Amino acid sequence: METFEHLLHGFSVALTPANLGWALLGSVLGTVIGILPGIGPALTIALLLPVTVSVGPVAAFIMFAGVFYGAMYGGSTTAILINTPGEAGSMMTALEGNKMARNGRGAAALATAAIGSFVAGTIATVALTFAAPAVAELAFILKPADFFSLTVLAFTSVAVVMGASRVRGFIALFTGLALGLIGIDPMTGQPRMTLGMPDLLDGVELTVVLVSVFAVGEILYVASRYNADEQIIPLKGGAFMTKEDWGRSWKPWLRGTALGFPMGAIPGGGSEIPTMLSYTIEKKLTRKPQEFGHGAIEGVAGPEAANNAAVAGILVPLLTLGLPTSATAAILLAAFQNYGLQPGPFLFTSNPDLIWGLIASLYIGNLMLLVLNLPMVGLWVRLLHIPKPQLYAGILVFAMVGIWGVSGSVFDMALMVGLGLLSYSMRVYGFPIPPLLIGMILVPVAETQLRTALAAGQGSFKVLLESPISVAFLCLAFLALFVPILLNRLRKAA
Amino acid sequence: MQEPLPSPSPRPWWLGLAVMVLGGVCLYSASLLPATAQYAAVGPGMALIGVGAGLVILGILLLIQIARGERFEPEGAENVNAELPMDKKAFATALTAIILPALIIETLGLPITAMLSFTLVALALGSRAIVANLASGLVLGCASWFLFNWLGLQLGDFLPLLNRK
Repeated sequence: METFEHLLHGFSVALTPANLGWALLGSVLGTVIGILPGIGPALTIALLLPVTVSVGPVAAFIMFAGVFYGAMYGGSTTAILINTPGEAGSMMTALEGNKMARNGRGAAALATAAIGSFVAGTIATVALTFAAPAVAELAFILKPADFFSLTVLAFTSVAVVMGASRVRGFIALFTGLALGLIGIDPMTGQPRMTLGMPDLLDGVELTVVLVSVFAVGEILYVASRYNADEQIIPLKGGAFMTKEDWGRSWKPWLRGTALGFPMGAIPGGGSEIPTMLSYTIEKKLTRKPQEFGHGAIEGVAGPEAANNAAVAGILVPLLTLGLPTSATAAILLAAFQNYGLQPGPFLFTSNPDLIWGLIASLYIGNLMLLVLNLPMVGLWVRLLHIPKPQLYAGILVFAMVGIWGVSGSVFDMALMVGLGLLSYSMRVYGFPIPPLLIGMILVPVAETQLRTALAAGQGSFKVLLESPISVAFLCLAFLALFVPILLNRLRKAA
Repeated sequence: MQEPLPSPSPRPWWLGLAVMVLGGVCLYSASLLPATAQYAAVGPGMALIGVGAGLVILGILLLIQIARGERFEPEGAENVNAELPMDKKAFATALTAIILPALIIETLGLPITAMLSFTLVALALGSRAIVANLASGLVLGCASWFLFNWLGLQLGDFLPLLNRK
């Protein structure tokens, strides 16, 4: 009952004309960046961070939520029409969606993707509404040792799951940890890793890292291996699905939602794994297996629903524990920190306008996105005709504005070059980017919790093994690290 | 599913070495902290030592993987053909566009820097309409300067050279 009251309060916040405007702006912006190449929700939110400081956290987060959801809707459009996923979660959509478009059923593919995203997004937001306060209550019992072990679990899962190999995943993570340790130690005031450079005393500005890693690295990578050939398939057929399409879509939508929400909440789960799982399950359950690989509507409906449900799932650990489970969530955490806020159980009581306004805005944003995406898809498709050289050139200008506007420091502009080259090398050699960001953003919290726990335990690491919750998290981290190795060995032996 | 992509360099030993060097920098920085010993296990050097040691070990593991012939597939991305060899000229042009702001933004200001960097990136991606790109870059740079200044960002003088005496 209390949750309903909180939600009603959230709607009273989100339904003010100003906040509706921010939600609409975020939804439009999200759809646009989901469609355009090279710009994902993470980069967009990173670029918006300096600008939104002046508008207040409630409005900013309502807009960010719109960007996050909108990018998922927009990503499916490029996946279906040009066989290029706008973001990682739309990879599986491209497999069947593009085949449908080639068979003249692009409109049906776009419709099942949009309606599935709406259904999944709404159900997952209901789940978020009830799960988040419950998890936040549980979070009150976590001690510093438990919280440190939880971050170890998050680090391990992210490094293991994201990337071509565990070693490369951990290298990306540890590089992020090293970057996050640069600057004055908040507990003792000692400068660390500054190499005698006064510009590094305040640490590396997060916006500089985010913009360099996403925008600059991407520009260098695209320039080095640019593929100008891109075939946009024109939309054919009616805007809505046939009765048979509806019949074949509703179950995959629900199954995708059931997969996406919980997996989004798990560190490392993100949206890629549930979409892949959804595709595999739909392929197994379909009555028309021969259509898979040639444009099966279930192969679009399930993964798209899983993708959008995962977004709401990602918000559960972020809002209740301050734990990001994906790159975009890491940037949302940075956005909270930008406002001097720390997501976690206390935020539910100290800032209910923000938390419940944000949750209510997800319902509203989903509805806006359905309206924006179904009848107006033809308009969005026109964005695909923007010439790519000028598009990437524009991205660099905005990256420059973001960094120069935050610090006005030539040192940071030079850092942009270094981090851009680091990001380029990571892309070329298959090192995952999200562990780097999650490591950098979470290391101050992890270090503070560890040192607090150790201080209480008189410097003994045994303190991490004294709490059953901490032991459970460490065991899970251990399993996340070694079970895949064991399974691989068993598979090879078999 | 896609075929495995060719590795950009058959044996990129430098990757392992770079990771070890980064770990070494962390350990060296930890050793510079004057009170590390007094702080015992809970001091500011603890995390640095952990991260540094981790990076050194991971660097060694990476070198072992490289020696065993580990493949390093480039990441797939939009507008990228990862199977293509690197276009060095385009890369150098884009890199120049990215280095340029650090060199000139303080002197020439955001609009001019944006104009030049915009044109260079467009050139790197194959656009030969240099005059149109210069004009587009200038318009975008000016519009960004006015818009973001209005939104509260400090983007410096419009043309710093004009304000110098």
